[in-house]
Amino acid sequence: MTSADFLSEVGPMHGWAMATAAVVSAAAAMVGTLLVVRRMSLLGDAISHAVLPGIVVAVLAGGRPGGPLVIVGAVVAALVTVWLTQVLRDGVGVAEDAGAGVVFTTLFALGVVLVTAAASRIDLDPGCILYGILELVPFDTISVGRWNVPRAFLTGLAVLVLIGLGLLVTWRLQVFVAFDADAARAAGMPVAAATLSLLAATAMTAVAGFEAVGAILVVAMLVVPAAAAELLGRRLSRVMAMAVALGVVGSVLGYLAAWKWNTNAAGMIAVVLGVEYAMAVIFAPEEGLLARGIGQIWLRWRVACEDQLAAVWRREEAAGTGLAAAAAPHGFIDRLARAWLAMAGRLRRVDGEWTLDPRARPAAEMIVRSHRLWEAWLGRHAELPVDHLHPPAEWMEHHLGADVRRQIEADLGWQASDPHGSEIPPER
Amino acid sequence: MSLAPPLVEFHDVTVAYGRRPVLWNVDLTISEPCLFGVVGPNGAGKSTLLKAALGLVPLAGGMVRLFGQPLERVRRRVGYVPQRETVDWDFPVSVMDVVLMGTYSRVGWLRRPAAAERAVARESLARVGLEDLADRQIGRLSGGQQQRVFLARALAQQADVYFLDEPMAGVDARSQEQILAVLSGLRDAGKLVIVVHHDLRAVTDWFDAVALIDMRLVAAGPTRETLTPDNLRRTYAGAIDVLDEVGRAVQRRSRTP
Amino acid sequence: MTSAVGYLSCLAAIDLSGLLAYNTLIVAAGTAAVGCAAGVVGSLSVLRKRALVGDAAAHVTLVGVATAFALTGRRDLPTLLAGGFAAALAGLLVLVVMRRYTRTRDDAATAIVLSVGFGGGIALVAGMTARGIPGSAGLENFLLGHTAALTARDAGVLAGVSLATVVVVMLFLKEATLVAFDRSFAAAAGWPVAVVDYLLVVLVAVMVVVGLPAAGAVLVTALVVIPPVAARQWTDRLGTMLVLAGVIGLVSAVTGVAISAVVPRLATGPVIVLVAAAIFAISVLFTRWRSPREAA
Repeated sequence: MTSADFLSEVGPMHGWAMATAAVVSAAAAMVGTLLVVRRMSLLGDAISHAVLPGIVVAVLAGGRPGGPLVIVGAVVAALVTVWLTQVLRDGVGVAEDAGAGVVFTTLFALGVVLVTAAASRIDLDPGCILYGILELVPFDTISVGRWNVPRAFLTGLAVLVLIGLGLLVTWRLQVFVAFDADAARAAGMPVAAATLSLLAATAMTAVAGFEAVGAILVVAMLVVPAAAAELLGRRLSRVMAMAVALGVVGSVLGYLAAWKWNTNAAGMIAVVLGVEYAMAVIFAPEEGLLARGIGQIWLRWRVACEDQLAAVWRREEAAGTGLAAAAAPHGFIDRLARAWLAMAGRLRRVDGEWTLDPRARPAAEMIVRSHRLWEAWLGRHAELPVDHLHPPAEWMEHHLGADVRRQIEADLGWQASDPHGSEIPPER
Repeated sequence: MSLAPPLVEFHDVTVAYGRRPVLWNVDLTISEPCLFGVVGPNGAGKSTLLKAALGLVPLAGGMVRLFGQPLERVRRRVGYVPQRETVDWDFPVSVMDVVLMGTYSRVGWLRRPAAAERAVARESLARVGLEDLADRQIGRLSGGQQQRVFLARALAQQADVYFLDEPMAGVDARSQEQILAVLSGLRDAGKLVIVVHHDLRAVTDWFDAVALIDMRLVAAGPTRETLTPDNLRRTYAGAIDVLDEVGRAVQRRSRTP
Repeated sequence: MTSAVGYLSCLAAIDLSGLLAYNTLIVAAGTAAVGCAAGVVGSLSVLRKRALVGDAAAHVTLVGVATAFALTGRRDLPTLLAGGFAAALAGLLVLVVMRRYTRTRDDAATAIVLSVGFGGGIALVAGMTARGIPGSAGLENFLLGHTAALTARDAGVLAGVSLATVVVVMLFLKEATLVAFDRSFAAAAGWPVAVVDYLLVVLVAVMVVVGLPAAGAVLVTALVVIPPVAARQWTDRLGTMLVLAGVIGLVSAVTGVAISAVVPRLATGPVIVLVAAAIFAISVLFTRWRSPREAA
């Protein structure tokens, strides 16, 4: 089956279901980014469980699923959750995680019992609470002009627009608070308002997600794309954009996978989001496992090459003064590095001795300079015997850049030699 | 003639958090039982030095020897008083329970402290003047009393070297005197007592010897000879800028190509 | 088969005579043992400030239960719970790996493992149900708890595992308390704190798994959180707290089983949780009224 066949077979009904998952996921990713960077993921988890009784009570009071009354009910339930957790912490001395555990399990249990008790009067099924009915979303529609649009999609879109606008208006505040809430408070920013609006947004997302994916998988949409995006970047705006992209892509792919394998869409969406996170852990450009592994290997290689160059530089210096110089390291990688340097023309064999090519001389000299500067600095500032200065410098010589070297030199008052009496080469 | 090995030796110890060194190349030997102060500004790595000695943080370089041996062989001879903020004082244990924890190493796995351990714990409590509060829940004590409970627990360890992390922080004058009396008593009984202390006042009265630390060892030796104006200036207005800069460079360079 | 009968009897109108049926009594006894052991184990994990580690494990069990069913085609409880336990351990291992190798913080890591594991479980169960694999629909009982489906043998297994867990807790109580109270002191004194921590987490995973049939994957974490927190209100002694948490867990479990046995279609888990929460609320109100806690 070609992908075009596949898509045409998926059809417009599935298109609406995917669009619903995508808008909910986008809203959840925005809110979730703030929750994750503010270390409030736990609260997202708690709120998406705890909104259930609020929704049920609102429905019993005549609210339409996904309607304004239900959203109000959910927001109230979310605020009650946070308030109760705080009362337990400050008034009763229950640690925050345990307190949240008490509150959200209790509220969720209450919601399930209410649903069961009112089963004849409301159209909510305990299963749907847990894993949603995304597949049935397209059949419950509202006419918008000439279009029959699924109600859940409209709810999701409304929530997405509301949250998007709210973020746009309060963006600088949110960034400040996310970066450093204490500093923001000290600067007179309305931190409490920012937090409250975040909680309300979480509750609204939970309502929008409830029908589509169910309570627990809302947690997946809130936290997983945001946590993956956090590994991919540092700037908040970038992280949030990436989270939205990951959430939307994950929702569509998850839905298609569920359709292909004939299983629950919400569950598959969570699984695909999990796969995205795992990929981010492995392939993230800077802190992915792969990049870090390569970085380690590269560092080891650079150290080996630099050690060879510095050793030859020292031997040449010693030849000038008639003193003996230490031999170059000759482990396997070190010999490999020397062979490579010879091949690249940086080192040359002259009269049975390795000599530096003029092109390699500046680099070699700067390594020796770093080494001796650090010995001198440690000798001046740390209570360390002279024979203990070499090992730290042997390590540090590979890490000092030109500006740090100048700073150390200035700090030393441009002293000309290291504690062993060797001359410190000048900066090139 | 066989020389007894030094009590505590740091050999070129470097400690890094997340690749960024916070304590550089410390070389320090303490051979005689004494009251030894580790002094320096905030964030200078004093607690880190203690934790390095106790094996609580991994060493990026160097080694530590106690009684000339690796730490693992001599754990039983080491007593420790952590900072008071590291524990949850709301924990449902009594003062006696906490002091008994000092005897657990001798009791070993799966067994409960017996009458002998209880006697040791009671005696330790008496030495810090808290025998009347043995049954009190630990959260219902004052800060100074809590610190003395920790000291009593270390006494119950019956060690030869004691490491104390900021035992005087947030402690009332009476408790401070009492703690100092206990520590002097330990020194007089031939124990080495190493105390991290953040405050320069009273250092000369309390400690026989000090190490001045500011991300590296600035100076060490008998208190009067070490606390020179020059050493203090180097400790408190020192070379942190360069170390900070270099630390960042190490972190940057070793992460990515 | 038994479960189908249980489910049907659940659909019947309220019938108090069913409450006293032999099977119900056995099941109540087994669940009581689970509730009691969960309270004891949970006390330590709450004190170690790891109250919610069980929640991640609990949600992940669903994958294991479904996989065990898919692989063996058997629906007897020990097989399914063994699968659940394996999955819980795998989930906890993922948490350890995430802590060690990623920048993701613990709260987010917990939420990720919890929701992705649960989603995988849901997808597996739904996939099997959609393929009409007989018996797979009954796996949904593990979502919110459904004790009516248990046999006397199941109850015996649950009680046996619970008892064994309590024995292990008692054996290592000294070490677990030491590590939970003062980790750095314990490490300095040479105790293998990581081993003790892992042991505690594994015990929590065991309790979460045996609590599944009664409370369900979504709510079972309440069994290891609410009774300990309620017990703490009454006492400043660890020993007393363990006993009280056990008693509160036991009472919640038995009451929950009884109520859900007589009310049609009511899952057991939510009822157990609400009973425990009510006991917690009474504990807070009563102890405050008796002696207002002095400011620390």
